[in-house]
Amino acid sequence: MREFSAEERLQRPVPREPWTKPADDGGPKTPDVRRPDPSDLLRRMRRVDPDQARRYRQRSGE
Amino acid sequence: MTPARLVGLETEYGIYVEGRDPHDWLDEARAVVLAYAGAAAGPWDYEREDPRRDLRGFRVRQLASDPRDAQYDRPGQMPLSQEEQRSDRVLANGARLYNDHGHPEYATPECLSLRDLVAHDVAGERIVLACARARAAQTGRPVHLFKNNTDYHGASYGCHESYLVDRSVPFDRLYATLTPFFVTRTIYAGAGKSAVESPGPWDDVPYQLSQRADFFTEEASVDTLHRRPILNTRDEPHADPGRYLRLHVICGDANVSEFATALKVGTTRLVVALCERGWQPAIRVRRPVEAMRAVSRDPTLRWPVELDDGRFLAAVDLQRIYLEAAQRTFAGADAETDWVLREWAAILDDLERDPLATADRCDWAAKRLLLESYLEAERLSWQDPIVRSLDLEYHAVDPERGLGAALRQEGHLRAIVEETDIQRAMATAPTDTRAWLRGEWVRRFAPAIERIGWERLCVRSNGACRWVSLGPLMGGEVARLAAALREVDSLDAWLARMEGGSTDA
Repeated sequence: MREFSAEERLQRPVPREPWTKPADDGGPKTPDVRRPDPSDLLRRMRRVDPDQARRYRQRSGE
Repeated sequence: MTPARLVGLETEYGIYVEGRDPHDWLDEARAVVLAYAGAAAGPWDYEREDPRRDLRGFRVRQLASDPRDAQYDRPGQMPLSQEEQRSDRVLANGARLYNDHGHPEYATPECLSLRDLVAHDVAGERIVLACARARAAQTGRPVHLFKNNTDYHGASYGCHESYLVDRSVPFDRLYATLTPFFVTRTIYAGAGKSAVESPGPWDDVPYQLSQRADFFTEEASVDTLHRRPILNTRDEPHADPGRYLRLHVICGDANVSEFATALKVGTTRLVVALCERGWQPAIRVRRPVEAMRAVSRDPTLRWPVELDDGRFLAAVDLQRIYLEAAQRTFAGADAETDWVLREWAAILDDLERDPLATADRCDWAAKRLLLESYLEAERLSWQDPIVRSLDLEYHAVDPERGLGAALRQEGHLRAIVEETDIQRAMATAPTDTRAWLRGEWVRRFAPAIERIGWERLCVRSNGACRWVSLGPLMGGEVARLAAALREVDSLDAWLARMEGGSTDA
């Protein structure tokens, strides 16, 4: 069981995962077998209205 | 043995109608509910509901409400009665469909098995989608529904879990046992969110695990609309209050992943069972509200949690305290329990080794990989406004649009139920709980029902209104009553069989 010391938790700079990968040179990529085939999903995502979330307002629920 | 326990889910759906704005959501959500075309009965029996009663033995004077909601009220608009506004419908599958504060809400019937619960949760998606399409056909305005918990602008709505619990469990033990569990359950039950909507640790991260963690400010209270608590203390058992309490969990996310729904409820059910047996963990979390936000937002995905004694423990290892206790106590009890124990252990191992390897099970991981793939393909950053729109689209109920639905359809999110299970759940209640009786009443005698709720209904017969209990909660008694009732074909005969001629409920 891994325990974190207070110093480790509070003082060590927290390594931040890069949220995007650096742009590549367009060469062959090793397929990421975890990921679904992105082509259909990419097509679907490209159809999403980029303003959708900006317009989306809700009343507070429970 | 793991005790049989009724569980249920109630989901408030986000709504967007093209050409309308949030001032219209009360009316539009009501219209969606009223568009339900199947057999249904109402109005709801609110007489026995008391949301101000607290498990700790008192009633609060009033419940907190979000002051920002008033911005969406239309000045001068004549208010409808609560009953009209909510427009409750009880369906032939035993479920409840109604308008809750401007959100179509679907409450599953009471279930005993996780498989039934997941089937009914997904059936709810199909039913509300059908209602949305029917409403759109009436007006010509598309109606979009989302199974999520935030509008990314500070408003939240819930996916609540209900667990029937032995009333004899002391509140202090419930609090001590459930709080650390709920603070860390997000690591496999979170639905992910590309926004931070409240101050706290890591408030500049572009993505976090939980939709709901930002909106919890209290450790325990009876409130649900504002100043929300990690442990909700509402005391409405909807069953014999002398024997039972209903644990009403409001801190979880709505899940698109069937697996996440099953594991979220399955693990919680085991933790509740441990609690009933007198177990509680030897650790306490320091500042649980802040800890829950930290777990949700931690960009390292290691999730250290500060304990009361000053140590830090990884959320995975904190969850393992519960898992190991459950394994010692319940391993071998039944196939479903063993499934939960096995998958709980596996997902904790994967979360520790490679968190994104859980993308076939956890909504937050699946969504994050989707977003990353889009950003990589389009060479955009997490700060681009499209990210939140894609986040929202993950939760679209329409399978032609929803990104999570697409993952489900393509088999990239592990399924728990089959299409036949879902179709059956859309039409009929589980046969091993009182929901079956409720559903049969609606199917056969809806026009005669004057009021209906979880525990009883009022039916007009021979000119008089008679209250009828919905009978035993679960198990063999329900089956025996069901067999007897199949033999009767009239309302009067059914009343006589159920109540022996009594008018009391």
